[in-house]
Amino acid sequence: MRRFKDWSIPAVTAGFVAVLVSYAGPLAIFFQAAQSADVSPAMMTSWVWAISIGAAVSGIGLSLWLRVPVVTAWSAPGTALLVTLFPELSINEAVGAYLTAAVVILVIGVTGSFDRIIQAIPPGIASAMMAGILFQFGVGVFESLATVPALMIGMLLAYLVFKRLTPRYCLVLLLIVGIVLAVVLEGASLEGVTVQLASPTFIRPEWTWQGTLGLALPLVLVSLTGQFLPGMAILRTSGYNTPARPIVTVASLTSLAMACFGGITTVIAAITAAICTGEEAHKEPSKRYIAGVANGLFYLIGGTFAGTIVLLFTSLPGEFVAVLAGLALALIGAIASNISAFAARKEHLEASVITFLATASGVSFLGLGSAFWGVVIGTIAYNVLHRRLVGREDPQKVSSSAR
Amino acid sequence: MKHIEKGVSLRHVPADFIRDLNVDNVSAGIVAGLFGISASVIHVGAGTAAGLDSQFIMIWVIAYLLINGLFGLVMPAYYRLPLPMANSIPGALLFAAIIPVVGVEAALGASLIAGAIALVAGLAGVMGIVMKLIPMPIVMGMVGGVLLKFGLNMVAPLENAMLPAAIMILAFFLSARFLRRVPPLIVAMLAGIAYMAYAGIDFSGVELSVTFPEFIVPTFTLEAFLAYGLPLALILVGMETPAGVGLVKGMGYKQVPANAITAVGGFATMISSFFNLHSTCIAAPMTGICSSPEAGRLDKRWVAAVIAGAIFVVAAPFYGYVISLIKAMPSYFVAIVAGLALLKVITSAMYMTFAGGKHEMGGLFAFLIAASGLQILGIGASFWALVLGVLISLIFETKDFEFIRQVVHEPSA
Repeated sequence: MRRFKDWSIPAVTAGFVAVLVSYAGPLAIFFQAAQSADVSPAMMTSWVWAISIGAAVSGIGLSLWLRVPVVTAWSAPGTALLVTLFPELSINEAVGAYLTAAVVILVIGVTGSFDRIIQAIPPGIASAMMAGILFQFGVGVFESLATVPALMIGMLLAYLVFKRLTPRYCLVLLLIVGIVLAVVLEGASLEGVTVQLASPTFIRPEWTWQGTLGLALPLVLVSLTGQFLPGMAILRTSGYNTPARPIVTVASLTSLAMACFGGITTVIAAITAAICTGEEAHKEPSKRYIAGVANGLFYLIGGTFAGTIVLLFTSLPGEFVAVLAGLALALIGAIASNISAFAARKEHLEASVITFLATASGVSFLGLGSAFWGVVIGTIAYNVLHRRLVGREDPQKVSSSAR
Repeated sequence: MKHIEKGVSLRHVPADFIRDLNVDNVSAGIVAGLFGISASVIHVGAGTAAGLDSQFIMIWVIAYLLINGLFGLVMPAYYRLPLPMANSIPGALLFAAIIPVVGVEAALGASLIAGAIALVAGLAGVMGIVMKLIPMPIVMGMVGGVLLKFGLNMVAPLENAMLPAAIMILAFFLSARFLRRVPPLIVAMLAGIAYMAYAGIDFSGVELSVTFPEFIVPTFTLEAFLAYGLPLALILVGMETPAGVGLVKGMGYKQVPANAITAVGGFATMISSFFNLHSTCIAAPMTGICSSPEAGRLDKRWVAAVIAGAIFVVAAPFYGYVISLIKAMPSYFVAIVAGLALLKVITSAMYMTFAGGKHEMGGLFAFLIAASGLQILGIGASFWALVLGVLISLIFETKDFEFIRQVVHEPSA
């Protein structure tokens, strides 16, 4: 078998590190969502199972099929969005929204309109909304200083040291140090953590317009702009000219299958993809797909023992998860990169800032969260302030008045 | 005195003031003045939380308006720059917290020393070095984080006062786009007032009262100096001036008298300490309002700051009356007007922090810390935002520091 010859230790290691980083960082955000929804450990286990198996199946399938290191994962900005919506939104509504979002992304994937849709969204508005969601996590780190000062300062220092010394393993080391600090300083007990096989729980989907407008719509938007767009860009800059269509299609089919077990939209990874597509995974680009396969296999293991992962996170204080999630987002530069992404778009900067403000303010009314209103208000502002009216004003004047 | 920057002159101020007066800078000046007065809720809140009696809080705020307003008349008029003077908000929080511990007289003694330190720092001309140590993206990150709260407060009324909030914000945008002659701020305010007139306001709580500042002799204790005077001096020199100067520079002014702002602030702080007031300095949010593009042409924005100062001085004795008027208005009104006035400033602060590609991480941390409003050792977030922002930038973005680059490239013999 030719395939076995392609296996290499660096590729498998890259896949392993990518999974570890995802579990150490972005998973913390998912746990925060679960905490704000106040779900049982059994339900959380099902969620972790669903996102892990979804990432495993689609990642292994796509990597083997395309011979490209396709790393899939769950939508990290989507989970951040969840934190802001629970508990007003019920779990059943969330599942309904997952299904709606998956269908929308499937249509986009099958029709091959991904690139066109990406171009139609004012780039500043999308990144401003994302920055607004992520901003709340970044601020959360510093707000936790009031409740758990020692833990927060310890983790911040650890973060700074590791980020300086080994950026790649920073999150993993931060998780370890954080757990030690939580046990020593906050008296968290890890005695209850045992090896457990996960069993998924079926969640009946429910469709409401709050779920559709408040979760499904922003979820599609952040998944497209926050995951598929940078994820594809990472693949392309690493030299893989893979078309978007099969990846978007397979990922959305996986999302459909996993939604009823609490799995949020499966997408191409943006945060961890670079670990598997770069030279560190293998010198030979044609053999890096093994990293994608290995990444999937480790997700498979993680999903199987999802119960243990849940036990580990639930035995740690909630503030620990908040600090870890905030630092994880700061670490991957997501907050800064989204703010600079919209700040660089000077021609409609003001509309972007309004989007950012509305999203970050956390206002919710008519049962819809701030991400939705951020997009609505931002789009209104964009059209009122910056859209060129034919023959009315020359563009130079519009942009100068907008500044 | 050689480090104190020369200004234009005070001689032709009245004539120039009338010449440069326009709708834009008048409306910005009114908003800044109103904003500064309504900012006194912070003093009231902090003072009440610290258990100070309402009579003291009253003379504290009145001294704040009168003394800050007087210096706020002189500084912009002499330099012809939008340099409104107010007091340090982190300083106010510290001051309120320290009074129950050391007493008013000792706290004011510490203020006096802090003012003297700022005066000496300005006279010695150290501000150039201070500003070099704190790079612009980090200062603007902090300013953006502090001002962000006002932007968020502008959006927040959409939740419970959706109709008037939407009317005011939409009026602002539409007039910004289509009525360039009328300042959008005025249109937004008029829209809000029209709505309030329609909905009706309860003025029954409004009553006329006149109060004047009271003289007090400070005393000196080491404890008060260490716990409050030293941090205040650091805040004045290391935070308030860089923030104000950074803002004004960011708005396009080339020459900003950093040493004079510090020295005059220090001197005024010394005077303040005899009238139950903790400090006088340049104030970032008001500077933002007066120096923003909403205040009209660049060379005429100084008028806005003078007007803000005049409003302070005139309103001071009637503070009780003015504040009862502001309280009678629905809370969304001032919140939205201030947020709209600061929108462009927030926008350019974020632009300068994140679009330059330098000190991005330090800027991000400064932004997040300032926005989080955390307090360490009783000192507010804006101070720590600068300290930690610079520290983190020194660790991760060493090469972005100009003076370090110079040292690396030109090793001293």
